Amino acid sequence: MPSHRMPSEADIISTVEFNHTGELLATGDKGGRVVIFQREPESKNAAHSQGEYDVYSTFQSHEPEFDYLKSLEIEEKINKIKWLPQQNAAHSLLSTNDKTIKLWKITERDKRPEGYNLKDEEGKLKDLSTVTSLQVPVLKPMDLMVEVSPRRVFANGHTYHINSISVNSDCETYMSADDLRINLWHLAITDRSFNIVDIKPANMEDLTEVITASEFHPHHCNLFVYSSSKGSLRLCDMRAAALCDKHSKLFEEPEDPSNRSFFSEIISSVSDVKFSHSGRYMLTRDYLTVKVWDLNMEARPIETYQVHDYLRSKLCSLYENDCIFDKFECAWNGSDSVIMTGAYNNFFRMFDRNTKRDVTLEASRESSKPRAVLKPRRVCVGGKRRRDDISVDSLDFTKKILHTAWHPAENIIAIAATNNLYIFQDKVNSEMH
Amino acid sequence: MEFKLEAHRIVSISLGKIYNSRVQRGGIKLHKNLLVSLVLRSARQVYLSDPCPGLYLAGPAGSPAVPPPQPGEPAAGPPAGWGEPPPPAAGAAWPEIEPQPERPADPATPRAGDAEPGAPMTGAGETVRGGEVEAAEAAWRRVEGPREAAEGGAGGPAGGSDGFPEGLREARRHCGCPPGAADRPGPLGACPRVDCCCAPRPAEDEPPAPPAVGPRKRGAAGVGGGPAPGSSPLKKPRRNSEEQSGGAAEEEEEEEMETGNVANLISIFGSSFSGLLRKSPGGGREEGEGEESGPEAAEPGQICCDKPVLRDINPWSTAIVAF
Repeated sequence: MPSHRMPSEADIISTVEFNHTGELLATGDKGGRVVIFQREPESKNAAHSQGEYDVYSTFQSHEPEFDYLKSLEIEEKINKIKWLPQQNAAHSLLSTNDKTIKLWKITERDKRPEGYNLKDEEGKLKDLSTVTSLQVPVLKPMDLMVEVSPRRVFANGHTYHINSISVNSDCETYMSADDLRINLWHLAITDRSFNIVDIKPANMEDLTEVITASEFHPHHCNLFVYSSSKGSLRLCDMRAAALCDKHSKLFEEPEDPSNRSFFSEIISSVSDVKFSHSGRYMLTRDYLTVKVWDLNMEARPIETYQVHDYLRSKLCSLYENDCIFDKFECAWNGSDSVIMTGAYNNFFRMFDRNTKRDVTLEASRESSKPRAVLKPRRVCVGGKRRRDDISVDSLDFTKKILHTAWHPAENIIAIAATNNLYIFQDKVNSEMH
Repeated sequence: MEFKLEAHRIVSISLGKIYNSRVQRGGIKLHKNLLVSLVLRSARQVYLSDPCPGLYLAGPAGSPAVPPPQPGEPAAGPPAGWGEPPPPAAGAAWPEIEPQPERPADPATPRAGDAEPGAPMTGAGETVRGGEVEAAEAAWRRVEGPREAAEGGAGGPAGGSDGFPEGLREARRHCGCPPGAADRPGPLGACPRVDCCCAPRPAEDEPPAPPAVGPRKRGAAGVGGGPAPGSSPLKKPRRNSEEQSGGAAEEEEEEEMETGNVANLISIFGSSFSGLLRKSPGGGREEGEGEESGPEAAEPGQICCDKPVLRDINPWSTAIVAF
């Protein structure tokens, strides 16, 4: 594939997503490719090769496009992948770049018919004079072949850049959100969509906030949430009105005036929002914190965790090198007891909501040796420094973990570190607590 | 003083980012540019609320972050790709910008789609600095001239000045009051002399002649009148280019912008904000000028009390629009 960029930039992973059983793990990258990993069935004999993930399928989802009308190049980078709940033998997923969403169907073929009458094994037509009897072709096993085909292309629905997609629990519809609008689609209908949120002001000069992420409630097919660049969350009920510009609930925390700086607005912008599996809570990520919100309390989050507060004094430099605009994602574990998010220097953080303990781990080559135990890391901010501590100034801000995913049922996590994917398993505590 | 320097630096960086965003793959990112514009607003507020007029007069010596200006040098040439020639000198931009702050608010002064960032970061810095020094001279000459500007407008409602020239004017206040005296409202800002011109201008007081608000005027029939009398002929070409770009306000794409507009932008910020200041959308344009009732509504998060007078326009949002 021709590329004028650095050789590895197209390989930078831009999204990671487990399917609903955790058997499959999909990644999308900047080059528009999707790679699907499948968990190998655990073999009882070899205890140490339990359920590792191997490449299952690779395909090119999106290509770069050019919008001639606006003289705009449309990046092929995959912004989000969402799996559809499996309804038959095939798997389906939605992948999206800035402008176009595609539905892909992934099927397996492990048998093929043999014994045709009119053609031979290679498919060439037989000389009819050699055919003396009729036979019924039989299905014989073959090497597994994974076939991926695009089943739907949902195009031209968005003027601005798509930042999220979310499949509804009704398994029939899904929504896509860009900076200013959210559209509702039916999975089978590509030529039209229904606009359910529109925050574009009549006069663009009055623009003060944009939509940054959105998600359907996991159980209530009429509810969805979207986050804004101002740090607020809006829960909307599609039964209330056709256009859900008026929220049912507004979740907003008053700003702490003592923390005011030039960059207060930037760091309060929510980069990701995720419902808990229970549907009772929401998790949001802004630049320095992750917050847990209770759907029943709009005034403030019920929990706030500092991801890397030591960066608060460095916001100006982070603004200069654009790091302050990094959009980190966040994730719940299957039992909603632990939350996880990425940081810099290939660090990622986990917070146990029950014990209030947190840990910083590193995704690096050393730590990914088989059966290596991840060693907790520590960033020191001056004062006493322990031996393996990293000082704030020696953090590598080019190594950022923006995308993480947690297996829906087990303690398996997928961490995207630039162009490397790390999959860690907690063998000791396989069960969720 | 350090705040001012840092604010100035942040303004330069921000403008550079917005400029660079035009050439990024995938088109301009609305979210990022909105955030950058918010930073610009904050930086501007701090910049203008920190009264150090000496910064302008002293020239580059006080600002290590900025390259020394070349007064004789024309504005930094536009980067390749810009379709329009830059103005002869950035300094030329100042004379027409300068009178702006005196006027509380042009009635519904159309937000030009012009407010686009111009030069790349270094260029912006150079242009601004060059412009500043030249503006220092130019504005200084202007201030000496039309008295009306100085008398009525020099005081200006409390709070943020409207761009560099005002700070300049403060230093030269002919009543002898210390510079920045009128900058601060209330007891802090009280001038020693009761009758001095530093007294905050009453809300209704507007200079007789509409000032040149060239870059912000959208059309020849712009609301609020045509070009101010005595406006510099240099203004026209720039305005034309901005009007053209203003027409494309709706969507992301925008035409190239001249280097000189960088300087205009700085003072445009000085003039007014609306949408970004307010929590609720639908900005204050309808409030119009002259509506500034005594105490400005304290907006949450405001670092200084910006003149409500000047909140009818947010050219920076226009810049976002322009994208």
